[in-house]
Amino acid sequence: MQRGKGMKFVGDSRIKAEGRMVNMPKDYSEYPGKTEAFWPNFLLKEWMVGAVFLIGYLILTVAHPSPLERQADPTDTAYIPVPDWYFLFMYQLLKYEFASGPWNVVGAIIMPGLAIGALMLVPFMDTTKERRPSKRPLPTAFMLLAFASIFYLTWESVVNHDWEAAARQGAIVEEVEFDENSEGYQIYAGASCIGCHGDSFQGGLGDPLVNNGLTVDEIKDIVINGRGDMSPGLFDGSDEELEVLAEFIESLNQ
Amino acid sequence: MLNKIYDWVDERLDITPIWRDIADHEVPEHVNPAHHFSAFIYCFGGLTFFVTVIQILSGMFLTMYYTPDIENAWKSVYYLQNEVAFGEIVRGMHHWGASLVIVMMFLHTLRVFFTGSYKKPRELNWIVGVLIFVTMLGLGFTGYLLPWDMKALFATKVGIEIAGSVPFIGDQIKILLAGDDVILGAQTLTRFFAIHVFFLPAALLGLLAAHFIMIRRQGISGPL
Amino acid sequence: MSSKVSRRQFLSYTLMGTGGFMASAMLMPMVRFAIDPVLQPSADGELIPTSQKADALTEEPVKVDFVIKDRKDAWYVSDVADSAWVYKQGDEIIALHPTCKHLGCTVNWEGDDKNPNRFFCPCHDGLYEKNGQNVAGTPPLGPLDQYEVEVVDGFVYLGKVVENQLV
Repeated sequence: MQRGKGMKFVGDSRIKAEGRMVNMPKDYSEYPGKTEAFWPNFLLKEWMVGAVFLIGYLILTVAHPSPLERQADPTDTAYIPVPDWYFLFMYQLLKYEFASGPWNVVGAIIMPGLAIGALMLVPFMDTTKERRPSKRPLPTAFMLLAFASIFYLTWESVVNHDWEAAARQGAIVEEVEFDENSEGYQIYAGASCIGCHGDSFQGGLGDPLVNNGLTVDEIKDIVINGRGDMSPGLFDGSDEELEVLAEFIESLNQ
Repeated sequence: MLNKIYDWVDERLDITPIWRDIADHEVPEHVNPAHHFSAFIYCFGGLTFFVTVIQILSGMFLTMYYTPDIENAWKSVYYLQNEVAFGEIVRGMHHWGASLVIVMMFLHTLRVFFTGSYKKPRELNWIVGVLIFVTMLGLGFTGYLLPWDMKALFATKVGIEIAGSVPFIGDQIKILLAGDDVILGAQTLTRFFAIHVFFLPAALLGLLAAHFIMIRRQGISGPL
Repeated sequence: MSSKVSRRQFLSYTLMGTGGFMASAMLMPMVRFAIDPVLQPSADGELIPTSQKADALTEEPVKVDFVIKDRKDAWYVSDVADSAWVYKQGDEIIALHPTCKHLGCTVNWEGDDKNPNRFFCPCHDGLYEKNGQNVAGTPPLGPLDQYEVEVVDGFVYLGKVVENQLV
């Protein structure tokens, strides 16, 4: 069979005629129906799908800029970490009693290890000739079960995560200059404020206090009566201290 | 002209069979969406590869600006995203591509599973495929740390603790990954950078080559 | 050759077109991203103060060290030290940039005993006249660059670096 440029081949072109063992792979003409050349006919269709996919991809990229939270601060222990979405099911798994505490190794190593191991060994466990999902109920059932549990765990972790709080915790906050030795900061640090609002007002469990545009009176009111998740009566200093504190917080507005 | 160059090279290297191996073969009807629309499920593998190519390209370009150093990593990412023209797009392609590649690979795995395509003689290719899956997850995990923002640091902390809970050698694995037994910092970032940019991509390229060579050797599995 | 396009040729062209579209859509943002520094307008020179008093200058070039405060190098902001060779020519103050036009070493006034009244580059023995003119037969390819100079409150302020105007 002479198909190449000056080369003789046997059957499928990759095997040269001269003195080579004929180890041809399956010929597609075994399959019934309309076969088609890969190049250029089929590749063109694939690339058209690819082009449409790429357009969608680029639109996604332009419509949703990739997120960047503020620079890592290892001292901010109030931050609730969350992994990328495809690890959420593992993150959720580790919250359950049977997979945490003394059983942490179950959720962290054994279950994922078994899953990956089983996935890898599927061809050796499912050795029948049957290929239709309906003809091999066990593998199909296991895969559907795995899919359903991953979906469920991911779902649970998404609805149980406070995304707004996370966004607040991670937001990039402009740093303000302040005097750590000022009276206002001493009161701030001495009271419970610093625990939630952070040592440089960057926020945490509470809102950031920088550039919030509040006046002295509004700040006093919030300190005494609370707002949102902040309960009233957290501040136990004197009225003079409250005045100094409120003026100090107000001075963080720029 | 082009033909002459081709002939000149072919005469010396016999590249025609290589070209044949890559491109000159027939595609059966049952995987062709033009004949059966449901055959679009056979596109997932190709799309995974397509996104992988985009990931490699955009990653190469991102390293022109990125600095794997805890002082400057975040600043350089902030800079390239906000100050450099098209920085938002290039970083966006890499960020969203990381998710898309997982989605596409997941769909591809499900397709192969439910069409029973992993059966004899394709067991080896299935195993290589699972290894590619694990490599991709590793790329996702190491890449998550690189911008050095809040979620990067704290998610990695958790991830390293998980690696540390391996029985017997957990502590060693943890130190190997983090570069230190307590601090998650400068050495962790450089290690993750090296793993993300050199080690795992090298492994991935090898595995992909094996995956594709096996596909061409064995052909696509027949219709159900 | 017939002008008819065969089906295979048509498919090949369409394939190239689609491939070209994908490649350009993918690479266009990345290439623009990579060449961004090339397209940045050069920073308009702010005047940098030095500690050199204008009155103290003579015909003899002196090395004036100065510091560029908060120079922005992408995400890295730092103070950078630089220097200039400054002298008076008549009433005019001349400030030459000390970077050799050969391969970027730093030149010195009378750095070589055998060549008085010339700038000397120690790397490859480059020589320049006092006005910055490179001496023929030595490695440099052109004259030394010059700073724009202004005197503010009796002190020398240096502006941006321009090509030598004296030669």
